[in-house]
Amino acid sequence: MDFRFDIVTDYMPFFLRGMGITIGVSLAGVLIGLILGLIIALGKMSSNKWIRLPFNIYINIFRGTPLLVQLLIIHFGIVPMFMSPSNPLVSLVIGLSLNSAAYIAEIFRAGIQSIDKGQMEAARSLGMTRVQAMKLVILPQAVKRVIPPLGNEFIVLLKESSLGSVLAAPELMYWGRAAAGQYIRVWEPYITVALIYLVLTLSLTYLMNYVERRLSTDDQR
Amino acid sequence: MINVKNLKKSFGNNEVLKDISVDVAPQEVVVVIGPSGSGKSTFIRCLNMLENINGGHVMIDGKDLTDKKTNINEVRTDVGMVFQHFNLFPHKTILENITLAPINVRGMKKAEAEEKARVLLAKVGLAEKASAYPESLSGGQKQRVAIARALAMEPKVMLFDEPTSALDPEMVGEVLEVMKQLARDGMTMIVVTHEMGFAREVGDRVIFMDNGYIVEQNEPKALFDAPQHERTKAFLSKVL
Repeated sequence: MDFRFDIVTDYMPFFLRGMGITIGVSLAGVLIGLILGLIIALGKMSSNKWIRLPFNIYINIFRGTPLLVQLLIIHFGIVPMFMSPSNPLVSLVIGLSLNSAAYIAEIFRAGIQSIDKGQMEAARSLGMTRVQAMKLVILPQAVKRVIPPLGNEFIVLLKESSLGSVLAAPELMYWGRAAAGQYIRVWEPYITVALIYLVLTLSLTYLMNYVERRLSTDDQR
Repeated sequence: MINVKNLKKSFGNNEVLKDISVDVAPQEVVVVIGPSGSGKSTFIRCLNMLENINGGHVMIDGKDLTDKKTNINEVRTDVGMVFQHFNLFPHKTILENITLAPINVRGMKKAEAEEKARVLLAKVGLAEKASAYPESLSGGQKQRVAIARALAMEPKVMLFDEPTSALDPEMVGEVLEVMKQLARDGMTMIVVTHEMGFAREVGDRVIFMDNGYIVEQNEPKALFDAPQHERTKAFLSKVL
């Protein structure tokens, strides 16, 4: 088997541009997912079961159905109601955000509930409202505990953004498939794309480890 | 200061407080004793609504906690609470632990709150620990910080829920000493404890609870030396 490096070099500009978009949509997905996830987590912990209900349904739907199906419905069904023609990048960001929000919500909920309930009681006994106690006492402690599982979720999200290729969103995997189609070759484009994903996820792992270390040394002051 | 009338509290089908009525006068120190499971911790936690009240009334300084119009957060600023397990905020320094509520709840200026916190820390003998984190303190030191934290809100009443039960024996004394000083300063206190020496020495009144009822209450000397009820006698014979 000969490996045609010329295909790799020919397509490198596209791979790099695709990589930029992969990073962009993943970052957007994570940021929106974090905000939505926190809201959903707090909603799911409400003491009122009727408030909990819609958040439970949301989490069950988005965790219980494949992201690919969600993306197709969003791109070809929902987004066209608001924009035409629908932009695959917009659909991809929406899909990734909504999907990761469900997972991130469960990560936040587990983190918040892992904080000893004496902390909430102490804060409330000092006259703090529930919101103040959450903001000043519970969340700052929970953040530290959710960093490792959040890191996992970010890596999953980054890899799953490759499903955007099905919507023809010009991210990394899209260009891999384009190269494969143009040259009728398998190894060169897909191995290259795989290596780029690997570099991205390993960098992310390193970054999350760094954040985790920083936060844990903060404790030992 | 505190008026409890026909207080009832259940967890599911388990009725923990059956019919508790008690009045506490300003500056009075009331010590609550009783076997575990008697409801004494639940009772003290009802006094600032850490437990929902199922029946009866609890009045703190004239405000009825069971009245829906009462702002419970406001009442709690007047009721300091000290827990068995300290519950200090581990992500905050000792000084921040004490100033957090005065700044965010009372709206006090940071500089003023810190100055006050340092005075309180000196009072509990921990002035040099201001910038330490709770983790680095011993149990007795943590509990003294917890007392200072509650005092920073300038409460009218202090509730102590087994404040020395989680401490190593050699640290019990330093915490009780702070509590004695507080009593001498005229603080209204309700103390759930197993420290009978403290009850006898500091208490104005001792309440013996068993099985969700107040069985007997009296001045410490009378209650310890001449208990009237069989259950009180049985309990005291085991702990004294």
